[in-house]
Amino acid sequence: MRLNPLTAKKLNRFRHIKRGYYSFLAILFLTVLSAFAEMLINSRALVVHYEGEYYFPTYGEFVPGDTFGLGYSYETNYRDLSERFKTEDSGNWLLMPLVPYDPFENNEYGGIFKPTPPSFSDRHLLGTDTTGRDIVARLFYGLRIALLFSMAFLVLTYVIGIAIGCLMGYFGGLVDLVGQRLIEIWSNMPFLYVVIIVFSVVPSTLSNVSRILILLTIMVAFSWMGMTYYMRTGAYKEKARDYVAAVEALGGGPVRIIFRHIIPNTLATIVTFMPFTIVGAITAVTALDYLGFGLPPPTPSLGELLKQGTDNLTTAPWIVASSFFALVFLLTLVAFVGEAIREAFDPKKFTVYQ
Amino acid sequence: MKTLYSLATLVVPLFVFFGCSSKSDESSKEQDAELQVKVESLKAEVEDYYRTKVALPIEVQDQLENGEVTQEEIDQRTAAGEFPKFFQFKNLENLPTGLAWEDGSDLPEIGSPKATKGGTSYGTIQDFPRTLRTIGPDSNGSFRTLLLDDVAVLIAHRHPNIDEIGPNGFRYIAGLAKEWAIDKASQTVYIRIDPKARWSDGEPITSDDFLFKFFFMHSSYIKAPWYNNFYNRFFSGITKYDDLTFSVKLSVDKPNFATYVLEDIPIPEHFYGELGDDFPERYQWRFAPTTGAYALKDEDIRKGESLTFTRLEDWWAKDKRNFRYRYNYDKRHIRVVRDVAKSFEMFKKGELDAASLTLAEYWYDKLPNNDPLVEKGLVSKAIFYNQRPRPPYAMWINRDKPLLNDRNIRLGIQYASNWQLVIDKYFRGDYQRLNHTAIGYGPFTHPGIKAREFSVDKALEHFAKAGFKERGPDGILVNDAGAKLSVSLTTGYTTLKDALTIIKEEAAKAGLEFRLQIMDNTAGFKLAMEKQHEIHFMAWGYGAEMYPRYWETFHSVNAYNPDGSIKTQTNNLNSMNISELDDLIDAYRASTDSSEMIKMAHNMEEIIHNDASVVPAFQIPFYRIGYWRWRQYPDDFNLMISESSSEFALSWMDVEEKRRTLRALRSDETFEKSIKVYDQYKN
Repeated sequence: MRLNPLTAKKLNRFRHIKRGYYSFLAILFLTVLSAFAEMLINSRALVVHYEGEYYFPTYGEFVPGDTFGLGYSYETNYRDLSERFKTEDSGNWLLMPLVPYDPFENNEYGGIFKPTPPSFSDRHLLGTDTTGRDIVARLFYGLRIALLFSMAFLVLTYVIGIAIGCLMGYFGGLVDLVGQRLIEIWSNMPFLYVVIIVFSVVPSTLSNVSRILILLTIMVAFSWMGMTYYMRTGAYKEKARDYVAAVEALGGGPVRIIFRHIIPNTLATIVTFMPFTIVGAITAVTALDYLGFGLPPPTPSLGELLKQGTDNLTTAPWIVASSFFALVFLLTLVAFVGEAIREAFDPKKFTVYQ
Repeated sequence: MKTLYSLATLVVPLFVFFGCSSKSDESSKEQDAELQVKVESLKAEVEDYYRTKVALPIEVQDQLENGEVTQEEIDQRTAAGEFPKFFQFKNLENLPTGLAWEDGSDLPEIGSPKATKGGTSYGTIQDFPRTLRTIGPDSNGSFRTLLLDDVAVLIAHRHPNIDEIGPNGFRYIAGLAKEWAIDKASQTVYIRIDPKARWSDGEPITSDDFLFKFFFMHSSYIKAPWYNNFYNRFFSGITKYDDLTFSVKLSVDKPNFATYVLEDIPIPEHFYGELGDDFPERYQWRFAPTTGAYALKDEDIRKGESLTFTRLEDWWAKDKRNFRYRYNYDKRHIRVVRDVAKSFEMFKKGELDAASLTLAEYWYDKLPNNDPLVEKGLVSKAIFYNQRPRPPYAMWINRDKPLLNDRNIRLGIQYASNWQLVIDKYFRGDYQRLNHTAIGYGPFTHPGIKAREFSVDKALEHFAKAGFKERGPDGILVNDAGAKLSVSLTTGYTTLKDALTIIKEEAAKAGLEFRLQIMDNTAGFKLAMEKQHEIHFMAWGYGAEMYPRYWETFHSVNAYNPDGSIKTQTNNLNSMNISELDDLIDAYRASTDSSEMIKMAHNMEEIIHNDASVVPAFQIPFYRIGYWRWRQYPDDFNLMISESSSEFALSWMDVEEKRRTLRALRSDETFEKSIKVYDQYKN
């Protein structure tokens, strides 16, 4: 792929803004890492060597306890199995991930499900939450869901926002006038109430995935409007340029003009907004979870953890501390990236007025 | 220019103000006139109702409801004089002689003579009430307890410490009644009102308020069909002998029939003069006169924020036995605090007098025995074991839904729900496993039925019988058609979310997936009332009645409409539709004999257990609270059937002690540590 020299120059500038660039690398690293979360934080073993055979239970189907002679047909408890192998000392062994817990299982602490303070010996690095679930696991998987969710949110809102914004800007006139009024009306719908109302009528028989998709749809449906304003002005501006007239003269239709010529020239605007949209999406889904209208339980989520944390502020401060710092860390990284992009893509850097 | 403008702005609002006021003067006169007409027409309507209303026997009511007879036929039969008049007016000479009058004065008094009056109690509610009415739309919220249930003086009260069942049911103590007499043969209760009894606005309470109650409860104005039905079905007439003497006749002969009359309150006729179709709106924010000790003044209602009740200085029952040592605070301040965690912190700062510690995490972690406040003796902790019908915390399986209509699946769910684990490890062994839904009714409670234990093998066995034999890649069972064994589990109890996530994780071991949905209280209850749930987790609040009710929760008339569609807005959350059970419930409702009813109750309990559509979860045999040392309780703390520490209003406040305690909070002064267990009623 050959980059436009201007774009290459901008990217180069971005690379030289150290804070933003390293933040970007950190996010990239986290994203890649989270793709392999199952290998790092999981209650399933990475490798089991049992009676001369190797098992790799991390991905794919669950392995029932019967396989390892545990006498039950449900998922093997690998931590127990590990203990057993150690005591039996019959040449069987297994390797657990770094954090040997998954985000759903409840762990006892002194025979009780309750928050446990961080402990290295239990390998609960950040402690556990109110039902004894490992916080590292819940944070990390929660983070992954938040990232995926916000990416999907970004793509959808931008596709809709850019398409409608460009249409209004390009065609102008009545399309613009009517479109703008409709958007103004739509923007005044109170988003939170709509979420609450919709979720009260969504049948509970739906699976969790479809409920997450419904949440995504509602959030997208009420968030694409912001982008239309920028794209509309962008399209208005570009439409008046000579090169657009030239394409028109050569017989290019509106679709070609919008997608091949106008949008690439407004890319700077789009790219600059992206990180802030991600911040917005993560904050929104966290806030909804905090209020109990977000992802269905027991889906791991930052907001739910934050809620638990504030409810147990005095008795289990590690819950609020870890969720708070994780959220601040993530949002700061994204904001740094956003700042750097804005600076790198700032058109004023390339023009000298005297 | 600027001055001109500001002058203009000054003038305009004034003008509008004057314009408005003169206009509203006129319209208020018009309104007054209109109101007068309304009041007069209501009076006429009430009188007409008293003259014409007849009491239909239950069979005839049933026939009418089922469409076997028409209203015209009933009207004709009424005109022919077939049915007795509902409202009858007689003289004292007509009062039967030889009645055994009683007033409960032979029973021990409740309340502590140590109690002193004064001070303000501080408490919270989670939501500002949607109305101050105690009847009609939106009135059935938790605030009603503060307006009515815990405060109002009834005709007579069940003695809260005595559970012996006499020939006329439980033992009673006099409230509004000076004395009463029960005539079992004619199912009539005769009442003499305490001549001192007054409404909180000073009007005397008379027989007319009781007559009016029936007009009120029968009328469609109040928009409360349950009450309409109840007061029509169970009562067959009221007779006024004089202003302070009346009798009420019941149409059912139950061992506890007197309860229906004795545990009731009148309705202030003088207050509801404007009753009409707009009743819900018109009376939305009016505090109705009460028989109780606390009244609410308009200026003490701060919408969305707080309400303050004031004790009536000259309350009519202030020297009455059983009431004189209760209702001790001068004011009761109720603040809206939506967040439970926040209100607990407020309690720890001393802004609230007491906090519930019933949940294990509060008792053990948030206010542990070694908390500085407890160590210094500033805050006391108490456990009180009560004895009353237990709210049945249970998973109610909707038999109408696919999968769940299969008994084997339901049995599998029973064995896959590990409530014992939740009780042992989440509630820390303090709660008890609920065995069935009618616990706490003495001999009526089936002694033998045990909830099914958690057993992966048994669950798998039953699921296999229903076609779910193989586990899918995630460990959840699938059937031959490839469908997953997955059902939704909903609740409106956000505080019990953790318990349900444990249930979900455990059920996965038995190859069952619960899809959790935790909603807020209102949304959860609405879902269940519309019967959209598959499995709903909740408990019913049961009054301290003599025997359990089955009709509401288990009779098929509350499950399906005659056309076969699901009947919504009823308590039959299981869509229970078993003809054998229906017959028993009908017989149980009609039965007049306790021992027969006990047999039937046990029989019904076995059928319900067998059907496996209720997964009993847990019961709480106590309540626990933490309270500041200025709050005082009687030596035995509270009464046997009390549901919360405030229900019978026995506590009082030591004003001097509050000052001392608040001073000690800032100094090193300590008091004796106090953690008390009241297990005198523990079984």
